[in-house]
Amino acid sequence: MNMDIATSAREDTVYHVKRGGAGAVLDIENLSLWYGQAQALHNVTMPMEKGLVTALIGPSGCGKSTLLRCINRMNDLVDGLSIAGSIKLHGEDIYARDADVIALRKRMGMVFQKPNPFPMSIFQNVVYPLKVDGVRDKTVLEETCERALRSAALWNEVKDRLDQSALGLSGGQQQRLCIARAVAADPEVLLMDEPCSALDPIATAKIEDLISELTGHYTIIIVTHNMQQAARVSDNTAFMYLGRLVEYGDTEVVFQTPKSGKTQDYVTGRFG
Amino acid sequence: MGVIAETTQENRTPAAVGAAIRRTDMRARGEPALWVLGGALALGIAMIAGFLALVAWNGILTFIPKPIDVVTQADGTVTAGEPFREELFRPDAEVLEALTPEWRARIAAADGYTSRTLYRTGNFDLYGEDFRWIPDFTVTKRERPANVLFIERLEWGPFVGSIKSATIDGAERQIASLDDPAFVAAHRMSRQRWAQANDIEKDEIGAINHKLEAARLDLRGVELDSGRDSTDYRQAQARVEADAAVQRGNYDKLAVQVEDLRRLNAANTVTFVAVGGEEKTEEMAHLVRFYPANDLSFGGKIAVYFSRWAEFLGDEPREANTEGGVLPAIFGTAAMTLLMVIAVAPFGVMTALYLREYAKQGRLVSIVRISVNNLAGVPSIVYGVFGLGFFAYTLGGSIDALFYPERLPNPTFGTGGLLWSALTLALLTVPVVIVATEEALAAVPRSMREGSLACGASKWQTIRNIVLPRAMPGIMTGIILAMARGAGEVAPLMLVGVVKLAPELPVDGLFPFVHLERSFMHLGFHIYDVGFQSRNAEAGKPMVFVTTMLLISLIFVMNVVAIVIRNRLRRKFAGSQF
Ligand SMILES: Nc1ncnc2c1ncn2[C@@H]1O[C@H](COP(=O)(O)OP(=O)(O)O)[C@@H](O)[C@H]1O
Ligand SMILES: [Mg+2]
Repeated sequence: MNMDIATSAREDTVYHVKRGGAGAVLDIENLSLWYGQAQALHNVTMPMEKGLVTALIGPSGCGKSTLLRCINRMNDLVDGLSIAGSIKLHGEDIYARDADVIALRKRMGMVFQKPNPFPMSIFQNVVYPLKVDGVRDKTVLEETCERALRSAALWNEVKDRLDQSALGLSGGQQQRLCIARAVAADPEVLLMDEPCSALDPIATAKIEDLISELTGHYTIIIVTHNMQQAARVSDNTAFMYLGRLVEYGDTEVVFQTPKSGKTQDYVTGRFG
Repeated sequence: MGVIAETTQENRTPAAVGAAIRRTDMRARGEPALWVLGGALALGIAMIAGFLALVAWNGILTFIPKPIDVVTQADGTVTAGEPFREELFRPDAEVLEALTPEWRARIAAADGYTSRTLYRTGNFDLYGEDFRWIPDFTVTKRERPANVLFIERLEWGPFVGSIKSATIDGAERQIASLDDPAFVAAHRMSRQRWAQANDIEKDEIGAINHKLEAARLDLRGVELDSGRDSTDYRQAQARVEADAAVQRGNYDKLAVQVEDLRRLNAANTVTFVAVGGEEKTEEMAHLVRFYPANDLSFGGKIAVYFSRWAEFLGDEPREANTEGGVLPAIFGTAAMTLLMVIAVAPFGVMTALYLREYAKQGRLVSIVRISVNNLAGVPSIVYGVFGLGFFAYTLGGSIDALFYPERLPNPTFGTGGLLWSALTLALLTVPVVIVATEEALAAVPRSMREGSLACGASKWQTIRNIVLPRAMPGIMTGIILAMARGAGEVAPLMLVGVVKLAPELPVDGLFPFVHLERSFMHLGFHIYDVGFQSRNAEAGKPMVFVTTMLLISLIFVMNVVAIVIRNRLRRKFAGSQF
């Protein structure tokens, strides 16, 4: 892409005052990441507020997904990955040598770009996180299933066909099912990677409403390249560019009075 | 599919839009390539279809009862037989000399060729041959008399001739026709007694022999444990001898029963006379089937046809396998293939799982993968040698030494058998399963695995709950391919357990009911044996087709079952995406 920008003098992140004040759940400190030789993240430092929605925006390929997937260590699957810096969940370094990846992921839910329901029944899909956790008690599973489906605003649509294959649902329903699955084990953090990019406007609107409703219960980090969406659903917004965190703070401030020229260009739609 | 799609696209090419648009270069448009592809496909399909049609045609026709010609030759010889096939041949010069001028002229006009017919004359016991070539120029008369019978017997192959007289319960009497009620009843009675005697010999006397052998082995075991002079041994000996006396008593009773049945049967006989006037007396019990070949109604033909199929599918072979049924071979083939699948499926799947999911993808894994793929190129007989050396002699020998010392020096597992055959074929087919499984695993979408891992599932839980079920249809495809390959394989089996005639099925009523160490019969080997190893290759030839057809059908049925299971699985995983 733009070589002159990539090699331009290092800019420091512009931090605005954030919304919230309950304290940071997640603390990303000086995070750098390399895929083999290629550096995808440069010194990202970013505390995330508890119970609020944080949006990650930026042009395609700027490292949003990479950053998000660091938080639940999904990147561990990638060969030749190296990481510097730290991510702390409630002060505990998740990349510490003795950190348990599985236990970590149980404390987080993740929703992917394309709905990825498992080829099983709706019920089995929702309670999957509990099943792998060893929960066998039928009443617990059923209660969880209902609660999760209700909080994903899907209960009324599927309550009569819980034992049918999840693959029979529409795309929007499938994505809400994935949200239900992500919140079933009652995680502290909910990670969403462009959850609406494969959906039509109506399904998108439903998911957005859902995100607003979930605010307060979970700490949500959502990646999106749709700026209206970020403006609508998030409390704080981080703008990333070429692997760097450019500007971070209250969504309103970032969108209306950005300090950095890049942010300004991006949020006004001049590039992206 | 691809070819068809391609064609429609070609058709849409606006060839006739106008002179202004120059035709695209033929090579660029890919039409020659299309023709080559289509031709290759057509050739492949034609070869397979031709082969199947040949097998099916011959297999289906074999059991149809054929008419019998009675042929009189110039030298006065009379021959009766089924016309089997015709061919052109070139008679010797001195044979030609002796012919009439008209025949000589006719043969000369046909470039020295004339035709001859192969007759299935039967009556091997009388003539010492089953088939006879009769050149057309020697024939003076050819007729199809209504009273000639085709008689299938337990021994000596078929008899062609007519009935002279019969003896029922020792009393001679004339029988007017085959429908004579006294004759029909006597024949049925004789066959029943014969079957009963066989059952007693096989099942009950077999069981007694089994018990005697078990007692002997018991005693031998005690001898090996505590020595010949021990009190244990003497006690065991006394016990075994007492038991053996009882068994021998039972045996004698049964032997008397069998003797009685046989004596009764000996009093029911039929005397046949061949067209040459030779007579032959047969016990009715030995007549499997007989029919007036030239006087058979349509219904009669159908009855003979299906009764032959029923015998073929449901009975044991006789006459060095060229007649009778192939039930033991069907059973052996199915049992061996099933065992092979049971062995190859988990082994192949586990190997592939490790290679694909756990092993670090580096040079070593690449080498392993290439080696596995190359295993498919090893001649199958080499697997047979390996199976014999490793499974039968080494593994089986150790098992015998450990668990069956009392039976030595007779091998139990230390020789070819059902289990070793299945394992040898499992080894032979495991690359297919490994390759297919690896591909199926690789085809499971990354998003599925990530979804599961993100839920806090461990890698193993993800594989068990998500990856394996998703990959199952692909794995099944591999197993189906392996099964088809294994079921049709013969060469290695000849070394590790297949026999021409197995006295006992691998599954029977004697403890432990499934006898994996036993040698068994196999349809593939049966084809080879009947077609190329029997005394009477000509008689065996139709059986080659029938047996081949049966083997192909068996493999087909097993494949269809597996495919149905696979498709059911596939449907489960294929939902509407959006
Ligand atoms: N698995 C991977 N291996 C190598 N490079 C990757 C991998 N995933 C992403 N990248 C690279 O990292 C950069 C950031 O990617 P990503 O985080 O997916 O961007 P975004 O989600 O913001 O569009 C891109 O240049 C991309 O090519
Ligand atoms: Mg992305």
